[in-house]
Amino acid sequence: MHGGGTLVIADCGSTWTKILDLDSGTLEVIPTKELVKRKNAFFDIATGHSGRNRCRVYKNELIALAEGGLSIVDDEDFSLVDVGGRDIKFVRFKGRKVEKLDWNLACGATTGATVELLGNYYDIDFNTIPPSDKWVNVTCGVFGMERVLEQISFGTPPEESIAMFVHGLVRNVFDFVGRPPYLYLSGGFCENHCFLKTIASYCDFVPLGRTVPLEGLKGDIPRVGADVPGSDS
Amino acid sequence: MLHAGIVTVSRFTMMSPFSNDTFIGYFGFPRRAVLREARERYGDDLALIDLDIDHGAPDTGVLPSTTCRIITNIIDNAVHLGDRLAVIVAAVGEDKCDRGRHAAFLLSKMGFNVVESRFPPEEFEHRVLMYSQGRMALADKINRIMETVVDPTPSVEPPPECTPTHGFWGVPPHDFRLLELFPPTTHVYGWTRCVEAGRPGDMELECFVDEGVPTVFFTQSFCVKQDLAHYLAERYGGLAVDCHREVNDSILAKVEAFIRLS
Repeated sequence: MHGGGTLVIADCGSTWTKILDLDSGTLEVIPTKELVKRKNAFFDIATGHSGRNRCRVYKNELIALAEGGLSIVDDEDFSLVDVGGRDIKFVRFKGRKVEKLDWNLACGATTGATVELLGNYYDIDFNTIPPSDKWVNVTCGVFGMERVLEQISFGTPPEESIAMFVHGLVRNVFDFVGRPPYLYLSGGFCENHCFLKTIASYCDFVPLGRTVPLEGLKGDIPRVGADVPGSDS
Repeated sequence: MLHAGIVTVSRFTMMSPFSNDTFIGYFGFPRRAVLREARERYGDDLALIDLDIDHGAPDTGVLPSTTCRIITNIIDNAVHLGDRLAVIVAAVGEDKCDRGRHAAFLLSKMGFNVVESRFPPEEFEHRVLMYSQGRMALADKINRIMETVVDPTPSVEPPPECTPTHGFWGVPPHDFRLLELFPPTTHVYGWTRCVEAGRPGDMELECFVDEGVPTVFFTQSFCVKQDLAHYLAERYGGLAVDCHREVNDSILAKVEAFIRLS
């Protein structure tokens, strides 16, 4: 990935990897299961669960998200949340300084990946299924999936059951970030219309897309070449 | 720490737990009088072993997997030591937790010789917080604090006092790697601070933190103190962290980000 003077940065998440060629501006989004097959995958700067051993300079994911948010958003005070496959990361700024941050792991996590698993299994198009005003309790991905399967066994259509799961996830996210009146959303769920329509009933939001952490890596470009492989910023 | 060899600490000797010696086991912060009586009765020369700590005992599977790892350590250590435990002095009051009380009950039903201890407020002490507020590596600080449970003799070489740059609230974690992220200017709060003060179960002290100091509120997953950690983290703008068994990269990254961005 790195060679010939081209700078390549990557956000290697648990389920999706975003790779940006800074010279050409080309963004490649691939399933992380494809990344792990690329034995020679190596980046100049990386973040994410799967990036630590594939880069010259590694950056903490939450720090990459925070710095990426600051580079994109001009507001003095704002909340930024990244809903990923494995976890949810949150940073609240006041006067452009970090006021609060959090990162849910283990219990309460893996809900994003579960939405994908359920969607693939039941062949769901998240751009067309309507949001549900009902929800299931998504304590974590496993508990949430059990609730969805139970709903389906009771006769609720898979589309509605999964929309209820998405609604449960939205409630988790909204509570996790402290119920702000508006927020900035990062991550793959910026492209999930069911999620977006559901969260719209809770607060105003601005979807920033999947590349916020990549923006947060750009500040480390001067370090490339000066650091030993695998170093943490 | 008790992981290997012999560690001499002032007036008593703690030995490697999996030698053939006989031990007096304890968990939590038993009343000093109860621990003293146990030692007088079963032998002042017996080594003491803190059963809360991970000594590498194999999993017994006695408790559900959704049990706080510290409580699981108690059971696993006791079962592994078996009849090498002359007695278990068990903190079962408000100074520990209901699961500590249940562990003591289960161990007694399993045939262990268990002496219960409930640390009453009348016996609360006012010990100087030389480690909690001192400049020292956090792991060393917490180890020294926990050693005061059995040997409260004040250190002749206390660390220098320091202004807190960060805070660590909670019990000693199962996996001390978490503590390596903190600077030596980290102050200790929560139950561990109560231990150094000689006031286990003092809820007011347990909930005290210095406002404005970025603090990590740590609990083991499935510990009832998660309620307090969540409340205090919200109130003081800190970071609640829970961890089941060993820490992983994500937990370390979360704490690292908080320390660097706060």
